Formats: sequence, C-alpha cells, structure tokens
Amino acid sequence: MKAEKLKGHLDLLLLSVLSRGPGHGYEIITRLKVRSDGVFQLPEGTVYPALHRLEGAGLLASSWDVVAGRRRRIYRLTLAGEAALAEQAAQWREFSGSMARVLGASAGRSPATAGGVA
Amino acid sequence: MTGGTADAPSDLIEDYLDRLLLSLSGSPRQVRHTLAEVEAHLRDAVAEGIAAGLPEETAQAQALERIGPVHAVTGRPAGLARPSAALLRRLTLTAALVGGAGFVAIGGAGLVGRLLQALKGNLFMTAPFPPGTYTQADCARWLAGDPGTRSCVTAMLADHAFDFLLQATACGLLGLAGLAAYLYLRRRWNDRATVTALPAGTAEGLGAVLAGIAAVACFAQVADLETVQRGVGAGEPLSLGIAASVAAVAFALTLLRRLRAARMRAT
Repeated sequence: MKAEKLKGHLDLLLLSVLSRGPGHGYEIITRLKVRSDGVFQLPEGTVYPALHRLEGAGLLASSWDVVAGRRRRIYRLTLAGEAALAEQAAQWREFSGSMARVLGASAGRSPATAGGVA
Repeated sequence: MTGGTADAPSDLIEDYLDRLLLSLSGSPRQVRHTLAEVEAHLRDAVAEGIAAGLPEETAQAQALERIGPVHAVTGRPAGLARPSAALLRRLTLTAALVGGAGFVAIGGAGLVGRLLQALKGNLFMTAPFPPGTYTQADCARWLAGDPGTRSCVTAMLADHAFDFLLQATACGLLGLAGLAAYLYLRRRWNDRATVTALPAGTAEGLGAVLAGIAAVACFAQVADLETVQRGVGAGEPLSLGIAASVAAVAFALTLLRRLRAARMRAT
C-alpha cells in the first residue's frame, strides 16, 4: 500500500501497535509490517516524527533502555493514549463500516439495474 | 552488526547520520535522542540484512532505502531545514578562504602595479581628473606630496598611483589575516559534520568563478581604455586583471585536486 494512503492513519496504527506492549522504533515498524501481512510499507523514517508528535501530545511516553547491546528509546502508551486509541478506533470502525456498506451496495447492483432500462 | 569504524569514509550509515544531524532542529537533547534512535534503527536493519546473507555495503544501502530520505525522519521538507551550526561553520570557512584569497590577490595586483608603474609611468597607471573638476587647494596638496615637480597633473597622477598601491597593500595584509584565520579555524573545525556540510570543492569552485568574472571585467576595462583613451589609466585594471587571473587559475587547480581526491575516496 502506498505511503500516502497510510499518512492519515499512522497515528492510529502506532497507538494500536503499542497497545500490545512497549517497543522501540524498529520493533514498532516490524510489528506493523507483521500485523498487516507486509501490506503496510512506508519509509521507516516517517515513523519517528509521528512517535515524537504523539509523545509531545502526551499519548505516548518514552524511556531509554539497553536492549540487545544497543541503547534504545522505548515507547509505551499513556492513559491518554489508550483513551485516544479507543476513540480513534471507534471512529475508524464507523467510517470503514459505512464505506463497506456503500461499496457493497454498488458492487451488488446488476449491470441492468445500474444502467437503467435497455 | 556492522563493523564500520567511527569515521570510515565509505560508511553509508555514517554519511546518512551526518546529513540527519545537519537537518535536525530542536534542543540539543532532542537532536541527540533522535540521532541515537535512528542510528540504533539503522544498525538493526543492517544486522538483519547481514543475517540474511547480504554483504555489509548492500545491507547498508537496503537499510537506507527502507528508512527513506533524511527529511522523512525530520518530518520537514528538505528545503526547510534550518542551517545548522556545522553549515554555518563551513560557510564561515568558505568566506574566509575566498575573501582572504581575494584580498591577497588585490595585494598581488599592487605588486604588479608597482612593476607597471616603473615600466610605463604614472599616466599608464591612472587617468588624470578632467580640468575644472579639482580646486587649487587639491593641486597644492598634490604638489606638496611630490616636491620634485611643478606640474599639478603630474603630482595628481603620482598621488593617485600611490593611493592605489597603498590600498592594494592594505588589502593584501587584510587578505593574509583572512587566510591565517581560515587556517586556524580549519584546524579547529575539522569535524566530519563541518567538512561534509557542503560538497567538496565548494569554496574553490566559488573562488574560481568569482576570480574569473573579476578577471574578465578588468580585461574588458583595459580593452576599453586602450581603445578610447589610448591606454591612459589602464594600468590599474590591468594589474587587477592579472592578479584575478592568477587567483582563478590557482582556485581552479585546487578545485581539480579536491575533486580528484574526493573521487578516489569514493572508489
């Protein structure tokens, strides 16, 4: 999937990935790829400004730790982040459900119905 | 895990981190933290590639392709990156080198001018003011400076030629001070971020272009004076043109040497 299409949903995706447990940048990206079956491919660097922005908004908190011999910044969801995730996920489900119903209705129309009386 | 040394010239990851450092904005702590986490990310990605059987250089290239351009990490378009301290240091070095060498060249023009003055006289060096544009007091001042003559015009020419040589000498001394400052600062600011803040040979290229333009402008003025005034006053632009040509050639040769060295480092 093109990175452009993911842009508007990156915050929600990151919050969702971190709801399963804290992680550092590379780990978060790997989880995102695995959970999307490799569909969500974006320039990995774009994750960092998003993580920093979410931290600035108080939805994430970070701390430094040494993992596998390297110093890493570990991000975790805050209580405000959990609330934001619940709200954004509900909005997304409502939106995607509506989209599915509209697309389903279009796809279900027969050519004769769609084209009117011949 | 990579085995790259801290300052290996061919280490793609190090080069990327240098560029990132130059583009990041925020407090020193924010910059350090972002740099550290992006480096950990890249080293992880390279280690993954090497574990999958890739040569280190290919693994580095693949890691960089995956992370995307520097502006993806900074979150700002490339063109909006704030000039960093390293870039300002490099611009200062460039200005000191080009400015210093330029002023030294003017000092050199003074020496050439002195030679031309001895060979062809003051009338070749400088044109006299038209009659009626100077006062008796001016005349008296010029004659006081040249007691060996009774001609106001001759004294005026000697005074103007002397002024040119004096100003050129002052510029030459200023240029030497500029070059000394350049050498001192270059030793102090020899860090990789400063050195890579601008492409190799930027200062030399700029110097060659500016000196070349100055040389062409001076020689055009000489040609004009030769045609219109039969060479009266052509000495000053001629000496400046000769000095600018020498500076342009010196800058161009240094530029070629720098580019050749950079190409050899890259291979």
